[in-house]
Amino acid sequence: MDTRKYNIYFHTHTISGIIIAALLYVIFFAGSFSFFKDDISAWQKGKSAVAKTITPDYNYLFDSLAQHHNLRGRNFDFYVLRQGHGTYVNMSASQDTTISKPKPKKKEGGRGRRGGDDDSAYFLFYFGDKTPSSYAEGYDMGEFLYRLHFLAQLNQIGINIGTPFGYLLAGIVSFMFLFALITGLLLHWDKIKSNFFIFRPWSKWKTVWTDMHTALGVIGFPFQLIYSITGLVLIVNVVLIAPFSKLLYNGDSEKLYESLQYSRSMKTEYSYKPMTASFDMNAFLAKWQKEIKGGQISRIHIGSYLDQNMQVSMDTKPDPKASFAGSGFVKVDIASGKVLEQKSLVDDTNYIDWVKGLIYHLHFGDFGGIPLRIVFFVLGLMGCVVITSGIMIWLVARDKTNIPVYKRKFNFWASNVFMAACLSMLPVTAFTFIMLKTLPHIDQSVIYRVYFYSWLVLGLYFIARRDLPLMNRQTLLFSAILCFGVPLANGFSTSLWMWKTWQQGAFDILFIDFLFLALAAICGFSYWKVRHQAKSFSILSFKKREEKPLANKVV
Amino acid sequence: MLSFHLFLTALLPQEEVIATAFFTGYLLWAFLLLYAFTAHNVWRVWGIYILLTAVFALPYLLKFNLNHGY
Repeated sequence: MDTRKYNIYFHTHTISGIIIAALLYVIFFAGSFSFFKDDISAWQKGKSAVAKTITPDYNYLFDSLAQHHNLRGRNFDFYVLRQGHGTYVNMSASQDTTISKPKPKKKEGGRGRRGGDDDSAYFLFYFGDKTPSSYAEGYDMGEFLYRLHFLAQLNQIGINIGTPFGYLLAGIVSFMFLFALITGLLLHWDKIKSNFFIFRPWSKWKTVWTDMHTALGVIGFPFQLIYSITGLVLIVNVVLIAPFSKLLYNGDSEKLYESLQYSRSMKTEYSYKPMTASFDMNAFLAKWQKEIKGGQISRIHIGSYLDQNMQVSMDTKPDPKASFAGSGFVKVDIASGKVLEQKSLVDDTNYIDWVKGLIYHLHFGDFGGIPLRIVFFVLGLMGCVVITSGIMIWLVARDKTNIPVYKRKFNFWASNVFMAACLSMLPVTAFTFIMLKTLPHIDQSVIYRVYFYSWLVLGLYFIARRDLPLMNRQTLLFSAILCFGVPLANGFSTSLWMWKTWQQGAFDILFIDFLFLALAAICGFSYWKVRHQAKSFSILSFKKREEKPLANKVV
Repeated sequence: MLSFHLFLTALLPQEEVIATAFFTGYLLWAFLLLYAFTAHNVWRVWGIYILLTAVFALPYLLKFNLNHGY
């Protein structure tokens, strides 16, 4: 490779990398934890979803809803949770105007903010204890971290650019990440073989960071490439879809989404004629559950409940063990019992199912059980290490005598802020987990306040100290203590100690305790190592050192 | 990037091409962006991009016009 190309790759890689560094760290960190989203929810609520099998009782749900609402003529959407232990329920107002008595109303928009002045409802329902909770009440730490990893919380800060700001930002970061990945690989291409096994942990710090950055970057490259692309598809695919729909579908994006099998039209006519027979949802589902052989019903739509034209549509997903990709669909007219449309899970899997299955499963890591998630979790944290070491390389490479002091000061300021924001994430996360178990009432706003304010406080503290080695040591110490506190807090508040959850078979709760215990051990070990062995060094009269906890885990 | 996939839709089933573009589109896009950085002459980059776009868009435009807009 000639020097000119090398320099171009080098600079594009550096610039695109350093711009997105802090945000990308947040995305990777929160994303890694959201592999365990379901386990975190179970942990927080103290209700295991795997300890005993829960049979969803939809009839009970309808009966209890019917006590407060006249259900006739309503549309229902059930978005079933992945483990099938609960569902989001979206109940529309009745299409029967004698029941809904519509007021003239303005059209409401915005995802996730449903329910207006009519008596429609949107809530989360757990089949285990049969309690409904609103979205904000049902909001848990798993959901929080999951949404943080595509910066959904930033949507709420009121920058109005026509599209959710946080999602757009996440998309841009994702694309720049893809770009940085490609330039990084090309940059390292010539040395990829010769340096593959090179890691010199006892050399000077800059070498350690460089080796860490390239070695882990190369090992993690396929993983990270997959995530940058699937992430782009999942968060900002509209930039790709919009022009295609303009050019090929005459601007009819509904139609494009339909042909890509994202949505189907499920309209039913309301006939004002009540259905004569009664409807047993449980029996209906049991029958179809048998039909789809181990697959999972992911979404149910009921159009015009208890009307002559009542229809039920279901989306189904195959058991990942049986088939990697595929999606099923069935639409049934209830009064006549006729199947109107059907796409079998087994036989009708097509190319688009494969593409979408690939994107979805690769991104969510949900096809290999817990072991795969742990591997993905470690790979995700490796991404974090690559980012932080990248920041450090960026800093020390610019800390030379021939560079003006004001620039060096700015560089230090930037990396100080970046590192403070990044490194304080682990202690803050552990702290929030502890708070979940100590505060009397938890909902969305409580989680927001605890997490973001403690992050702000800790971040500002480290920024003010302006000392990277100290930041490293203290975050390690805080992380070790706070992570260790997580299983303790769980044990004291719910008395679900690890041995008890083991006995009950509540492995999802046990796993989170164990995860934090492991993190605590790693952080504690690294803290001890850093205290005793790390060489000091100085730049610009400030001293600084790298984060090590995550590196220890993988190297 | 767009016109290239548009070109493919002329030959292959269009919704499958779009689904494939989920992967190839973004990758191609990133590489095209990188190419603009490595090129010696900026005008040539513009020229190449426009030329490629025009060539790939040709089948689509022809089809579009021969069918009176549909």
